[in-house]
Amino acid sequence: MNFSLDISPITTAFLTVVMPLLAFFYQALVGKKDQSGLVAIGAITVSFICGLFTFLSIWNTFPQTVEIDWFKIGNTTFTIGILLNNLTALMLLLVSTIAVPVHIYSKSYMHADTGVHRYWMYLSLFCFAMLGLVIMNNLLVMYVFWELVGFASYLLIGFWFTKDAAVQANKKAFLVNRIGDLGFLIGIAIVYSQFGTLNLVHLFETGGLLANTTIENGLWVSPHNSMPEIWLTIAGIAFFLGAMAKSAQFPLHVWLPDAMEGPTSVSSLIHAATMVAAGVFLMSTIFPLFNETVLLFIAIIGTLTAVTAAYFALAQYDIKKILAFSTISQLGYMMVGIGIGTWDAAMFHLLTHAFFKCLLFLCAGAVIHEMAHLKEHSQGDFDPQDVRNMGGLRTYMPKTFILMALASLALSGFPLTSGYLSKDSIIISAFEWASTKGMAFQIIPILLVLVSILTSFYIGRLIFKTFLGELRIQHLIGQHVHLKEAPKTMLWPMFFLGICCFFPLFSINPISYHDSWIMDGLLVAYPYETNHMAHIVIPILLTVGALSVWVLGWKWYAKGQYPLNENSFANHLSLHQGYLNQFNEKTIVSSMLWISKFAYWIDRNIVDGFIHLFTKIIQNFASLIDWLDKNIVDGIVNAVAKIAFALGNLARSAQNGKLQTYLYSVFLLVVVGLIYLLLR
Amino acid sequence: MITLTHFLVVSACIFCIGLYAVLAKKNAIMILVGIELMINAAILNFVAFGKYDQVNYGGQIFALFAIVLAAAAVAVGLAIVLNVYRHYKTINPDQIRELKD
Repeated sequence: MNFSLDISPITTAFLTVVMPLLAFFYQALVGKKDQSGLVAIGAITVSFICGLFTFLSIWNTFPQTVEIDWFKIGNTTFTIGILLNNLTALMLLLVSTIAVPVHIYSKSYMHADTGVHRYWMYLSLFCFAMLGLVIMNNLLVMYVFWELVGFASYLLIGFWFTKDAAVQANKKAFLVNRIGDLGFLIGIAIVYSQFGTLNLVHLFETGGLLANTTIENGLWVSPHNSMPEIWLTIAGIAFFLGAMAKSAQFPLHVWLPDAMEGPTSVSSLIHAATMVAAGVFLMSTIFPLFNETVLLFIAIIGTLTAVTAAYFALAQYDIKKILAFSTISQLGYMMVGIGIGTWDAAMFHLLTHAFFKCLLFLCAGAVIHEMAHLKEHSQGDFDPQDVRNMGGLRTYMPKTFILMALASLALSGFPLTSGYLSKDSIIISAFEWASTKGMAFQIIPILLVLVSILTSFYIGRLIFKTFLGELRIQHLIGQHVHLKEAPKTMLWPMFFLGICCFFPLFSINPISYHDSWIMDGLLVAYPYETNHMAHIVIPILLTVGALSVWVLGWKWYAKGQYPLNENSFANHLSLHQGYLNQFNEKTIVSSMLWISKFAYWIDRNIVDGFIHLFTKIIQNFASLIDWLDKNIVDGIVNAVAKIAFALGNLARSAQNGKLQTYLYSVFLLVVVGLIYLLLR
Repeated sequence: MITLTHFLVVSACIFCIGLYAVLAKKNAIMILVGIELMINAAILNFVAFGKYDQVNYGGQIFALFAIVLAAAAVAVGLAIVLNVYRHYKTINPDQIRELKD
């Protein structure tokens, strides 16, 4: 498959990463003059081509790595370098592939925005950070890019910085991610102290440093160092904390729904293949580090995330928030995939999910775009993202409807779509995993099946409420509504992604995920046996379940026969995201505020007080010294001077040039002499 | 009976008045007068003591010399006072401080 001519894949990988950076610099320098984004699109296209070259020359051949010295501390040299293996090449291709349609789409979507030059700048920076994160061969450099992704997402989420909600959202995203970054950093520190290196190749390759560690007598022994066994678990959980924040795992997922304040195209990119995928990618990269405890922890958190997010998605009214919770839920699936040891399945789901979730967001963006136009034309006051205002858009935007329905089918895991393959791979593996563990573990795959059915339901609800029935906003505005299809530059990227929702891109066999070339390439040895029953029962169960909830959803939402009380507690709990934000506000935020206030008080009164006291003492002492100097020391000197002056004056006054004074003194002298003579 | 002691006391009184005039008066003429008084006190003593030299009248002769000398000194003194007045337009010794450096 190697037709990369004579170009080294390392070079092309480097080019892939650097192109968006160059575009970023160009836009930063040119500034407002560059409104078109053509440079960004061009750069990302070159990136995509280079990424494709890299992928084709690396896939299923030998991994390649190159590194140069970066800096030296003591005897340790830190290196910076590129690692290309199946996993990184796949991610590199995925990120650049998703980025291209998003860029092209953005050209129309962001056309009228005044800050569009900033948009292109941030977008290029974001792509650079994500692409760099993927191919770095060193955990420290990876961390640097990890941070850069967080920063770029901060800029993008808060792109409309005049909107208070956007500012709050980007702050929230940044802060929550900071918690995860702390975990990542702790993980890096533990790995470094245990192995003395952060090089991914040395650490995680077959027969590498990690493979040579053993657990002996409660000690985690590596060739470099040994420490108590618990640190292995701590390291695993610390790294997972990083992934929890980036990949929006419960309870650190709270930033992702709020991040919807950014432009829809940004949401699309962040949710599809880039930022939220970074956590899953990290987990796959450092997979050998995890022990049983950590894996179980990951699986539980993943399940919890999938269940809660699917539940929260049920009652959301914001079209983007439904999709956001859908993303969180799917990321939960991927984490379960990691937790049960099948990180190839997780990556597979990441890959397929990237395409259809990207498409879902772009379609939602098209809808919002048109609704916003409608709002502008009619001068109505309504939320263009609220599904309650939509309905019946099928007649106005048939192409968008078809594409979005297609993506929804893929998300629900309908046969012949890519989602069917990848989601089933995780659920079936989970069943196989659970059957080797015991009855209690069965709850995880059962919950996953439930979540899958819930997924079908809420995405069905989204489609029915948006595209079927009648246009509800028409009554509100009370005039003829003018809606049309999105422009071609938006439709074409969507069309491309629509094609990618089908199975052939990922597997020749539409039924069995084991035939997928991705699973073949990543190849993880499963510690448990294949359960043939599960392979037949589960897909049928999921498909039947999905179909039945669609029928139900169609009745409820398209026909308008909603049987439940909208104000029921369950509904409110879902709409308000389980009151998790409020809970955080009450517990963490307020306690933090209290601690901060207390710390402030201590600082003000105790620390500053002590310093002030000290200052006062010094000041008084100094003024005492000053007084002593002025009065005693200077006083003595002055007194001597005054005495000398008085004496001098006295002597001087005798010599006043007056005749009589002289005579007087002579007379006195004579008198004195006489007295002396008399008394002698 | 007038004894020598009476002469000496009167002489001392005159001398003291003269001394006071020399030291305290603000007028050069009065100073000269004071000097004359002191000389007169001395002459009075000479004359009084002359009683014990009735052979040569040493005291009286000395008194005559002293009177001549006093007249000469006053002439010189008056000449100085006149010159001082010409120079300073005053004869108040307080305002004549040329002796000071």
